[in-house]
Amino acid sequence: MTIFYRLLGFLRPYRRGVIASATLAGFAMVMTVLLPALTGSAVEAIHLGAEHAKHHQTGLKAEDRHKLLVLAIAIVVAVLARWVLTYFRRMIAGRVSLGIEYDLRERLYTHLQRLELGFFDRQQTGQLMSRATVDLQAVRFFLGYGLVFIMQSLLTITLAGIAMLVTNPGLALVSLAPVPFVVLISYRYGRRARPAIQETQQRIAELTADAEENISGVRVVKSFAREPRQLERFSGSVSRVFDQAMVATRLEARYNPMIGFLPQLGLAAVLLIGGEAVLHSNLKLGEFTAFYLYLNMLVGPMRSLGVTLNLAQRATASGARIFQLLDRSPRLTEVPDAPELPAGSGHVQLVDVTLRYDNDREFAATADGTAAPNGATAGRPVLSNVSLDVPAGRTIALVGATGSGKTSLVSLISRLYDISGGQVLLDGADVRKLNLRSLRQAIAVVSDDPFLFSASVAENIAYGRPDATRDEVELAARRAQAHEFIERLPKGYDTGVGERGLSLSGGQRQRLAIARALLANPRVLILDDATSSVDASTEQSIKFALAEAMEGRTTFVIAHRLSTIALADEIAVLDHGTVIAHGSHHELLESSELYREIVEKGLPESVFMTKDTREREVSSL
Amino acid sequence: MSAHGGRGVVTGRFGPQWDGERSSRSTRGRNLRGLIALVAPYKVRAVAMLVALVVGTAAYLAPPLLAKAAIDTGIEKHDSTALVLIVIAFLAVAVIYWIMTYLQTYLVGWVGQRALADLRIRIFKHLQTLPIGFYESRPAGVLISRITNDVEALDSLVTDSVVTLFQAGLTLVGAVVVLLFLDLKLALLTFCVVPLVAAGSLWFRLASAGAFRRTRETIGSITAYLQETLSGIRVVRSFSQEPVHEAKFAEFNDDNRDANMVTVRLNANYFPAVEMLSGVALATIVLYGGYQAIDGNITAGTVVAFVLTLSYLFEPIQQLSQLYATYQSGMAALEKIFQLLDVEPDLTDKPNAIRMERIRGEVNFEGVSFAYRRHGRGGAVAPDSSSNGAAADTAGGKAGRFDRAGTLPTEPPEVLALESIDLHIPPGQTVALVGATGAGKSTFAKLAARFYDPTAGKVTIDGHDLRDVASETLRSQMGIVPQEAFLFSGTIAENIAFGKPGASQQEIEAAAKAVGADTFIGELEQNYATEVGERGAQLSAGQRQLIAFARALIADPRVLILDEATSNVDLHTEGRIEDGLRRLLAGRTAIVIAHRLSTIRQAGRIVVLEHGRIAEQGTHDELIAAEGRYYDLYRDWALHAVA
Repeated sequence: MTIFYRLLGFLRPYRRGVIASATLAGFAMVMTVLLPALTGSAVEAIHLGAEHAKHHQTGLKAEDRHKLLVLAIAIVVAVLARWVLTYFRRMIAGRVSLGIEYDLRERLYTHLQRLELGFFDRQQTGQLMSRATVDLQAVRFFLGYGLVFIMQSLLTITLAGIAMLVTNPGLALVSLAPVPFVVLISYRYGRRARPAIQETQQRIAELTADAEENISGVRVVKSFAREPRQLERFSGSVSRVFDQAMVATRLEARYNPMIGFLPQLGLAAVLLIGGEAVLHSNLKLGEFTAFYLYLNMLVGPMRSLGVTLNLAQRATASGARIFQLLDRSPRLTEVPDAPELPAGSGHVQLVDVTLRYDNDREFAATADGTAAPNGATAGRPVLSNVSLDVPAGRTIALVGATGSGKTSLVSLISRLYDISGGQVLLDGADVRKLNLRSLRQAIAVVSDDPFLFSASVAENIAYGRPDATRDEVELAARRAQAHEFIERLPKGYDTGVGERGLSLSGGQRQRLAIARALLANPRVLILDDATSSVDASTEQSIKFALAEAMEGRTTFVIAHRLSTIALADEIAVLDHGTVIAHGSHHELLESSELYREIVEKGLPESVFMTKDTREREVSSL
Repeated sequence: MSAHGGRGVVTGRFGPQWDGERSSRSTRGRNLRGLIALVAPYKVRAVAMLVALVVGTAAYLAPPLLAKAAIDTGIEKHDSTALVLIVIAFLAVAVIYWIMTYLQTYLVGWVGQRALADLRIRIFKHLQTLPIGFYESRPAGVLISRITNDVEALDSLVTDSVVTLFQAGLTLVGAVVVLLFLDLKLALLTFCVVPLVAAGSLWFRLASAGAFRRTRETIGSITAYLQETLSGIRVVRSFSQEPVHEAKFAEFNDDNRDANMVTVRLNANYFPAVEMLSGVALATIVLYGGYQAIDGNITAGTVVAFVLTLSYLFEPIQQLSQLYATYQSGMAALEKIFQLLDVEPDLTDKPNAIRMERIRGEVNFEGVSFAYRRHGRGGAVAPDSSSNGAAADTAGGKAGRFDRAGTLPTEPPEVLALESIDLHIPPGQTVALVGATGAGKSTFAKLAARFYDPTAGKVTIDGHDLRDVASETLRSQMGIVPQEAFLFSGTIAENIAFGKPGASQQEIEAAAKAVGADTFIGELEQNYATEVGERGAQLSAGQRQLIAFARALIADPRVLILDEATSNVDLHTEGRIEDGLRRLLAGRTAIVIAHRLSTIRQAGRIVVLEHGRIAEQGTHDELIAAEGRYYDLYRDWALHAVA
């Protein structure tokens, strides 16, 4: 329930809009409820008029005609008033609902931007995405529309109920008897149908995956002549979808017609009991008609009340998940008024550094769909007691097996993670006490499979310095050996790349990342060397670009091959989170057995010839 | 802004080429017939469904008439018995309506879903008959979408629209007939508002179709942007660019709000206005009908029946107007599906194709030339995905490339990917294909596997032209190992057994052992029962390679065609892959697109391809000694590797 109130809190900035639209809706409902009464009175006037006409009471008949005219005008006035009221109600409520949606989304996104990197390492992106899309959708739908629906339905039922009770309490109670059942059954139907439909969608997703596999893997299927078995498997998936769709269909067939039937009982009661009452002059024909019309009018609100109660329930569950995210405070924060990074040329010191990652999966959903409680547990150290002093302008290579802590080590310089012991200093300043922005702008990373954003080539290069001029961007691209291929792209520097853009080859992406780093003009450069290979000529131009980038900067190289190690002045060998050897290539060949082994086993004999990554993606036989 | 640009590239990429095939009027009729044909096997149920619809609609229209009867013949005439009978009839109608809606919901669901299931299987079967060349000329996403998105678009056409069409149509016609029958003049007067409502509804649907598409697009952008930020969070943090992303996100958020506001405005203009018009119609009925009733021309019950039937007039119009959009998208989907089903498989077996018994594995290329052609019946398109603009800076020499606008050149230049290749591979020999990108290595391998037929010359196995051979009997004796080891979701054992249906666990384990995959499988928690995940995502690239080797080995092919992977794996696995490969190649004819020096060195023969021709061939030592093209390549490589 507290979650529900917190959700309502999102309405607070729109208090006036909410009140205005509720008031407008209220008046509009009054108009709506007036209509059956007016129509009923009209029928009464008609009835009397016909009687009077039959008995040639011309005066009374004229009176009835006049009354009818007044009622017709009243109806027109009521619907015109309702038109205006509803128009403004919709406009205001729409604006409010969109405002809430906007705020929610912005809060969520801004909050995600505040959370530390470690948080994202441990979350499945899918989990976060579903909070930001599915859950947000449920909440905004409820706050935006659900509340209005509930209010409208309740108001209609109440007002019509009152009108009926005032006219004839006994008949009102009998004919309204089905109302709670309809609401209840609609609610139940919503609860049961949703999982059935979700399961259907899940199975369709499986079917899609199945189809995708068969199409992407068509070469394998064909080369082993396994079409019949694959067809059988696919047919299985198709049947599963069919079966589940029928589960949903059967639910619909069971509930929907029943929901349609129940109000008919009320109408039948009105016809019979009300009709008898009119026969015995206990009820006017006009009142009888009004009753029938009221009940007819209530069918819609009864149903939608049931449906929207479901929305409320779903929104509460979703709200819980969203708040869990919003309540998770950032664990890596700046100290207030943190000073800028002092001037310097990139002297990096690690003093007795120990690093542990939290290894909890905070947000893994539990089986019943509710969120698991927060809580962090510390894992085993990724780095322990590492000390390293890299003077400004030096290049150091980090060598070691996968998981030895190379990437973690370089991440500490820009304080992507907080250490659990020791100190990391850049130009003499403890990174934890610095303004994060000034620190991170002094460090740039180039990885072998760099992430590019869905933006133009120019914007990607200028990523670290969005204010850079086109000339500066071009200069950086030239220095990174990227200018030539960029010029040949369809729109040159304005070509879109990234996740949803043009796919560039590995080598091209890498050179863009180098240009991006160059333009940022960092004090410290971090290179994460290639594990996937590019062809020889590309490799050559990347080497030129790297040499340009490293010029005059402190550089950390995570090295996988001999040729990259050769770039370094000194080498540190990591093993299970500790630096086990440190020195020049020749010193280490002498002193470190692990290093010798790594070098001898030939950091993988790089690929012999001529296939660049792009072709690999496209035509794998 | 740029992000929009990026997306533009995507739609531009797939749009005009494969999705833009617009439907014409003439094909529409055919498509509709196709749709009906899908339901044809379930005639009885379909007819029952229609009956339920008609009876259900009649029952739906009855209550106003019964209410009229109750007033006119029961209440006004003070006839209590008649009233009771009418109420009984009312209840009976309600029960009939209940039963009919039940039947209709069930039958529509059954027939619709069954038809869709059939269609899915039909598309799938059809796709299976199409040659590899077909797949290479189309983005996989487009084909997948035929069998998923397009079929689902049909779902709403079949299950919603058809029912709405019948139900709303019948209701509308029924209501009109009822009103005309009750009182002609009053009916005609009531109908006055109908054109207004109809025109307004149509306007609303057309306007809102665009507006809703816009909201879907903007919400799509938001989701995509969020997804991207999460994937690139490390870069965002590293460059400390959070404020920039927040500002950009706010832009997307703004766009979405604006797009939604348009729909709010449309709704606010439409729905209240329709309500208002219905109110005006009500007032008209009350006034004119009332005067008529007072004058004794009609009864009070008739006026009530008119009032009650009014909603039966308005609702169907609103529903029918909605159909238009669904109909459009459904027909578009149908069009695309039938276009796919119309593609006739080429490379089919000849009627009297030779069934190959166990082959020796002697492969012969005799004067083989090949050009990728514009896609069409029996043709093939260059597989280099020239839709990808970046391809412009590589391999300029491939034929059949699309120009930048994504259209096909009308008369493609016949650039030969392979030219007059003569090569005899004796049984059991390993041939390593070496050459620069675009030299024709993949094409060579594809012709050997009969993914394509040569433009000139012939490829034979054991002296039989591949075109004369029953492909199933041939393929089962040929192993093809693509560069990216593609695994299917399922267990490791299932993936290995893919090469030999019904293989026993011993056979599976033996194959794994033979290629050296048993060590890492033994280290996995569930061993051979370990799920590999979608596309084998749970395994490393090297492990996938080893499983692909085991899969090929268990099939025991006579001829193996292998595209060696270029991605580096860790030291340990590297060694295993070399061993595994050696075992796999032993004793078979093998054509290997080779990248590793170790593989090349071990090959019985190295064939160096250049611009679609064989530049030179021989063993490693022979070629080094010859100091030709291979020598150059080798020297270049050696320089870089050591540098």
